[in-house]
Amino acid sequence: MQKDQKEKILIVDDSEMNRSILVDMLCDDYDLMEAEDGVEAVSILSKHAVELSLVLLDIVMPKMNGFGVLDAMNQNRWIEDVPVIIISAENSSDQVERAYELGATDFIARPFDALIVQRRVVNTLLLYAKQKRLISMVEEQVYEKERQSDLMIDILSHIMEFRNGESGLHILHVRNLTDMLLSRLMAKTDKYGLTMADISLISTASALHDIGKMAIDEKILNKPSRLTKEEFEIMKTHSAIGADMLAKLPVHQQERLVKVAYEICRWHHERYDGKGYPDGLKGDDIPISAQVVALADVYDALTSERVYKPPFSHEEAVRMIVNGECGAFNPFLLECMEENVDRLRTARDEGIVEEVRQRKLRSISEETLRGEGGASRRTLQLLERERMRNSFFASLTETIQFEYTDSPSMITLSARGAKKLGLDEIIMDPRHNEKIFEVLDRNVWNEVGRRLRASTPENPEVRFDCALRYDGMTRWHRIVTRALWSEDTEPKFEGALGIVMDIHDTHMKLQELEQKAARDPLTGLINRASARERMELRMSDSSGGHFALAEIDIDDFKVINDVYGHMFGDKVLQQLARRMKNSVRSTDICCRAGGEEFFIFLEYNTDIEKTIDRIFHNLCFTCDRHAVSVSMGVALGETTGLSYESLYYAADAALYAAKRGGKHQYRFYNPSLHNLLDAVPEKKAGREKEDKQ
Amino acid sequence: MTLQTCYENMGANYSDAIGRLRSERLLQKFVLKFLDDGSYDLLCRSLESGETEEAFRAAHTIKGMCQNLSFTVLAASSSALTEALRAGQTETDALFAKVKEDYENTVNAIRAFQAEI
Repeated sequence: MQKDQKEKILIVDDSEMNRSILVDMLCDDYDLMEAEDGVEAVSILSKHAVELSLVLLDIVMPKMNGFGVLDAMNQNRWIEDVPVIIISAENSSDQVERAYELGATDFIARPFDALIVQRRVVNTLLLYAKQKRLISMVEEQVYEKERQSDLMIDILSHIMEFRNGESGLHILHVRNLTDMLLSRLMAKTDKYGLTMADISLISTASALHDIGKMAIDEKILNKPSRLTKEEFEIMKTHSAIGADMLAKLPVHQQERLVKVAYEICRWHHERYDGKGYPDGLKGDDIPISAQVVALADVYDALTSERVYKPPFSHEEAVRMIVNGECGAFNPFLLECMEENVDRLRTARDEGIVEEVRQRKLRSISEETLRGEGGASRRTLQLLERERMRNSFFASLTETIQFEYTDSPSMITLSARGAKKLGLDEIIMDPRHNEKIFEVLDRNVWNEVGRRLRASTPENPEVRFDCALRYDGMTRWHRIVTRALWSEDTEPKFEGALGIVMDIHDTHMKLQELEQKAARDPLTGLINRASARERMELRMSDSSGGHFALAEIDIDDFKVINDVYGHMFGDKVLQQLARRMKNSVRSTDICCRAGGEEFFIFLEYNTDIEKTIDRIFHNLCFTCDRHAVSVSMGVALGETTGLSYESLYYAADAALYAAKRGGKHQYRFYNPSLHNLLDAVPEKKAGREKEDKQ
Repeated sequence: MTLQTCYENMGANYSDAIGRLRSERLLQKFVLKFLDDGSYDLLCRSLESGETEEAFRAAHTIKGMCQNLSFTVLAASSSALTEALRAGQTETDALFAKVKEDYENTVNAIRAFQAEI
């Protein structure tokens, strides 16, 4: 805190006179903010908690009383950094006691004495300032110390890698993987009693796992071909040698880092089944630090290039490890690896190490200082910066941004969003706020809430289109939101954040197209031109959606017509059309392109192959005891790009391949089919004609 | 008329107030400000319409201000009314009548003082 900057005090009292008495007493020495009830106080705190040095709080107030403010300050952990002095005429002992229990620092009874108020304010500020200074001092020291030792280790391990002929990133990778596996393990079980500090220590020490290789002849280390039996025996000594080097350190023997590094060096080639070296330890006799580093070491060795082998793919490496082809590991750890398959790939390669380290450091210094997790001043500052960034971006866009917390129930809207909708930026207890439900229907609120709660931490996103009313208009909007789940083993719903986009124009255009769409009188499906228009609109409006086009042709339709007559043929067409509509969602597009040719355009986000298989089987049916089958060619926007032409051309090629393959089947387009069409003269001619239309 | 006389006229404790707020200028400012405060009107309105909770808060605010300004008499009667309303009593007419009397005395004394400065 700068000296020339006045400390900021928030005065909360519903009586203007009481506030101004306090203002007069304090305005010379402090920056003052005022709130006239609890709700306003919470709203100010949510924006300025980091800058505030003190809150002077009345108890009896309308809307939300002083206890409510203290509750909110506890829930948001503001109370840990912002002291509160209660000033109230409430002086019954249970009220005073309740205020203290909720974290109030001091209590001044009315009528108050100017000197006493000034003195107590000063005392409280001094006390907190001292505590804050101490916290940031310790944090700086812890941070600086860790940073320097990490730096030393980075340099030394790089020198070692240089000699070992390794990629230069092996040690970094092993450290990242170790960190990730341990974090997962800690979340999974408390069997090993791991703390954040342990994880940081083991990850740091993991850098030393191969120091014993210094003592191995360079010719063996970098031999490009397979090692002989004797050479391999020499190579195997590196783990015991490394441990020995540490055991003989003349100093620091009592340091935990040295002890953990010893475990890792000596036992990172042990196997869970007892068949490793040098000591043949089995199961959890092997320290968990060494078990984790062993797994990380093997994984990175597999996925990296070596003089004697090419790199294996991530999937291949995981498969080999799980199948026991590269050693025997703790089943718990294998689970940790499999559960984190995606993060594993990125953890290895991305330069996340610095970020991980900073995160760890923050939590460690917090652990040290508070004995439990909590937001330190540094974290609060980071959050504050994050908040500033968000509100800056929010101020630049028309999109409405919102955040919802479940407890206390509260919605925060971006400033522009709130203004646009004519709502407050902060809405406490929104379920009982009539103004919200003037803007949106209560059943929209309920449905979005239900879907959010039904979502999972892995798949938290919910999209919902609805009409909003404001400024005397009703406009269509799309709510895109994601649920926030707690990190507990049993994740708890904590709230959601999201945006509300105006999709009115597109929505109306779609509706208009729907009405204008030229329909085929026989099947009720839209024709090719209308379908094309709609497809293009959908694709231009998609926010990264996946689209597929399936072209469908009834097998031997000419024969059906010739043999059973046109009446029967029409019936087949109608049934197929009905089956098409029933196989897809109402937002997907079904079209009769002409004759016996149909197509379906659909948006998907999960397993498209399953969807296509299901649709295909729905479209092969029996009509008056005659089996009807179709051929189908499918093109995915991912492969072809999102344009009508490219999708249609590719689906056509795939359809042609399906027919040539004997009909009654479906094919996905792949580029190898590309030349197939061009090789067929009449198809090519037809295509060119179509292109010209 | 001095501020002290004004206090004597309403039966309030001048020396206590000046002892705590420590400035005649400030005390005078707040005493005059008391005339503008809407809590008494709010009290009358909410008692009339039977909104007990609102009435409680208004009485409570009056009590707090009177304590701060050492308006001892009005502080006592508004405090009695506050406690009755807090306890949810509905028969508060007598208590309110006392508050009304004290409030009018207080306000009259302040107005007389204001007229002379």
